[in-house]
Amino acid sequence: MGIFVFLPLILPLTALPIARLAEQHLHPRTAARLLTGLAAILGLCSTLCLVLLGVVGTAQIPGNPLPDAWADPEVREVVPYDEAVGAASIAALLAVVLAVAVAGWRHRRVASGARRALAALPGSADVVVLPDDAPYAYAVPGRPGRIAVSTGMLACLDADEQDALIAHERAHLSGRHHRYLLVVRLAAAVNPFLRPLREAVSFSAERWADEEAAQAVGDRRLTARAVGRAALAGPSAVPVGLAGFAAPGPVPRRIAALLAPGPGLRGWPPAHSRTGLAALVAAVGTTVSAVSSLNACVALLLVLHVLPMNPLG
Amino acid sequence: MTQGVEGADQGRRRGQGELEAALFRVLGRAGAPVTAAWVQENFDGELAYSTVITILSRLHEKGAVTRVRDGRSYLWTPAADGAGLAALRMRRVLDREADRDAVLASFVTALSPHDEQLIRSLLAGTEPAGTDRAGAEPAEADLTGREG
Repeated sequence: MGIFVFLPLILPLTALPIARLAEQHLHPRTAARLLTGLAAILGLCSTLCLVLLGVVGTAQIPGNPLPDAWADPEVREVVPYDEAVGAASIAALLAVVLAVAVAGWRHRRVASGARRALAALPGSADVVVLPDDAPYAYAVPGRPGRIAVSTGMLACLDADEQDALIAHERAHLSGRHHRYLLVVRLAAAVNPFLRPLREAVSFSAERWADEEAAQAVGDRRLTARAVGRAALAGPSAVPVGLAGFAAPGPVPRRIAALLAPGPGLRGWPPAHSRTGLAALVAAVGTTVSAVSSLNACVALLLVLHVLPMNPLG
Repeated sequence: MTQGVEGADQGRRRGQGELEAALFRVLGRAGAPVTAAWVQENFDGELAYSTVITILSRLHEKGAVTRVRDGRSYLWTPAADGAGLAALRMRRVLDREADRDAVLASFVTALSPHDEQLIRSLLAGTEPAGTDRAGAEPAEADLTGREG
């Protein structure tokens, strides 16, 4: 098992270059799927590795669930263990379980709260206009999902732009983007190194819905205008740090992408380009992460199965 | 990144949304059309009469309550119509949950002043009537410059 069991904890870092470059070079649909998949695998492997470290490291503590034979010196020589690392892993594992539970619970609370709010409206219309001056538009997941748009939001868009907005929200619902958001959220709770993936996926989901909306209304500039007008009508934030050096936020990047030719025209980057290299790094990192946690897992299972039959105990 | 600002703004809006919801509940308990003075008396806390009127009027604008004139004042009732009520409930969820945008995929997120500037110059070229693209150049240069 050795050092390899630590790898899945830090290998999520290999996904960062692709998270950064996916925005510029991949179709947002591909980016969202790829990055969510990466986040899920890397998150699972990292948790598995914590479990293994915890189990092996605390094998000496009385009351642990392992066979007594684990405490024997012969076995301890075969299975590398470190009590401090084991205890730290257990603490980290508890923190991870708590973080995942809290993230999942909060996600559920928001979604079900919004669903219940809309339940006050009878009928089965999928677009619900709510009388409220605050400009907002949300896709509320459910069976079926519904779109909640405030009158304040509709007021700042013309009829064509409203169509683009509704098409954007419909794309969120039909593409089940909420699931991607939940997966990356849980992954980020499992391992903080996966947080940049979460941001990248939520941006990709918006871009994906923008592209679908542009296709539905047949006008990229119109869609760009709808996004821009809606954003300008919404709340503004005071910048942190020097405004002149601030990187553009997600909304200007979405508008710029809509004003550029469609993402399908660019194609998959060649392997020797920066994106190709980043994709390769991410693929290798994920594979190594999966293989090393699988390897450690198999080693542990083998020991567990062999020991009870061993004359050592 | 914009946590502090959003937090302060949310606190203010939360107060408003909570008050609206509280007065709405008082109206619901009345069981019959009541005056603003009755609402003020039965509200669990201290509220100026003018505040009660303001909030009731806001609820009325949103379609959550209806009112009928009774002499010199109004009698207020919760609206049977669902849209106002749904808006009120939705607003409470949005005001209370800091991570709503992460769950519900908000159409747009808060902008920094720098973003606003960028968007204005990007949009300058998209107006159906206007053909002025000059404003868009610096913004695009700025965006592509980020790639490195």
